[in-house]
Amino acid sequence: LADHHGTVLPFVERECSIQRRHQKVVEESPSTALTPEKRREMADCAARVARAVGYTNAGTIEFLLDEQGQFYFLEMNTRLQVEHPVTEQVTGLDLVQWQIRIARGERLTIPAERALTPRAHAIECRIYAEDPDRGFMPSPGLVRALAVPGGPGIRDDRGVAPGYEIPVFYDSMISKLIVWGDTRADAITRLGRVLDEYRVIGVHTTLPFFRWLIRQPEFLEARFDTTYLDRVLADRHGQPFAQPTTTDEEHGAIAAALSAWFLAHRATATAGGPSSEGKWRQAALVENLRSTLAARPNDWRRRS
Amino acid sequence: MTFEVDIAGKTRQITVEPDGAVSSATGGVFRLRIGEMRSGVISSSRAPEMTPDLIISARVTDLGLSLRYESTGEVVDVAAIERVAGEWLVQLPHIDVTAVVDRRRHESGGAGAAAATGVQRVTAPMPGRVVRILVKAGDEVAVRQGLVVVEAMKMENELGSPKAGRVKEIAVAEGASVEAGRLLVVIE
Repeated sequence: LADHHGTVLPFVERECSIQRRHQKVVEESPSTALTPEKRREMADCAARVARAVGYTNAGTIEFLLDEQGQFYFLEMNTRLQVEHPVTEQVTGLDLVQWQIRIARGERLTIPAERALTPRAHAIECRIYAEDPDRGFMPSPGLVRALAVPGGPGIRDDRGVAPGYEIPVFYDSMISKLIVWGDTRADAITRLGRVLDEYRVIGVHTTLPFFRWLIRQPEFLEARFDTTYLDRVLADRHGQPFAQPTTTDEEHGAIAAALSAWFLAHRATATAGGPSSEGKWRQAALVENLRSTLAARPNDWRRRS
Repeated sequence: MTFEVDIAGKTRQITVEPDGAVSSATGGVFRLRIGEMRSGVISSSRAPEMTPDLIISARVTDLGLSLRYESTGEVVDVAAIERVAGEWLVQLPHIDVTAVVDRRRHESGGAGAAAATGVQRVTAPMPGRVVRILVKAGDEVAVRQGLVVVEAMKMENELGSPKAGRVKEIAVAEGASVEAGRLLVVIE
């Protein structure tokens, strides 16, 4: 943050190495790769960049860190970033409120130590309406219901509610799920519980992918770099992130049959049965679906 | 009412009958009979293996249905939504499965990507815009070779050829908006 009175206040870093096709997927703070000394060095460097351009308000300086602990300037994002909640949760500071206060001409009064000392470990997952088992293909449609876990150490910044139609025209992000704890291990344990309980009814989401990711040894031990996720995804050759058991399949078949029964009885309550034209159309769509499933999309990538 | 439900290549024939008063708004008790076609091929010459009737109480909830298996007392909260005609997204606790309900009888069973033969129609998997066409009519193509790039929701997807063959027809133009299921390319 930088105010209009010459104060530039660097914050604790965010670790964004978990990326798919150069797009951030998981962000956390602090990074396990930095010592407090390295953090201070990087923060000083970031502050110098902001001063050099006379920057005000919220901004992010991105660095790449190599195996030797050397870091290199990558770019500056002159705005509040998607992953700002992890910084808010580890510092207890409201960055959006400070953006408004700075714009009003107020002075930054946050002690430098407070902004630079993480008091928790926070992890954010970007939950998208995408089917991870079909190359992360977008899954637009009506959100029928949501079950969002709550409790201490959980924040869910979402833009959907039951009844919301995820349109085909925009980015398919549903929510940013932020979970924190005293240590990284605590945060991951909590995140596992929250991801398991989180349900979005009506569309496919990347939740199964996150449930898989946060149980990988490399993630648990923070042994990853920016190439990690693309590498392990390529090695999986499209293998599903969650494999249903026979019991799951039985429950699923029964659920589908009962739901189809309910649908048929609701439809007949309001209209006549399906016309023969409707049946033809239905059959054609099912055939079409079969060929779509056979010709698996290769891989979906976010447009940069 | 009988449904054929296909999950992961296994087809179950499920007969659903209300057991007493049932409301489509709140639910009720159902008697289900499930037959399994182990080979994934439905054949009239072979009777499916039958299991005893299941009594299930289905309550309509905010999330979908809360199913209680009367024999075991087990409760499962589920939601099943027909996303495309015939394709149901079934959402169980912790896992989603895709079910094809009442699909047409098909002797070839669950064909994988490598098994495609004959004339193949490549269609748009979802609504979007055709940003690039990578082949022209008459071109020889390899299996999985990119044919068309479709953009939707700020994402680009390259659709690959389901088989090795020749491009018989390009059915769209670059820049065209397409609906889900719209024919894009025919491979012979």
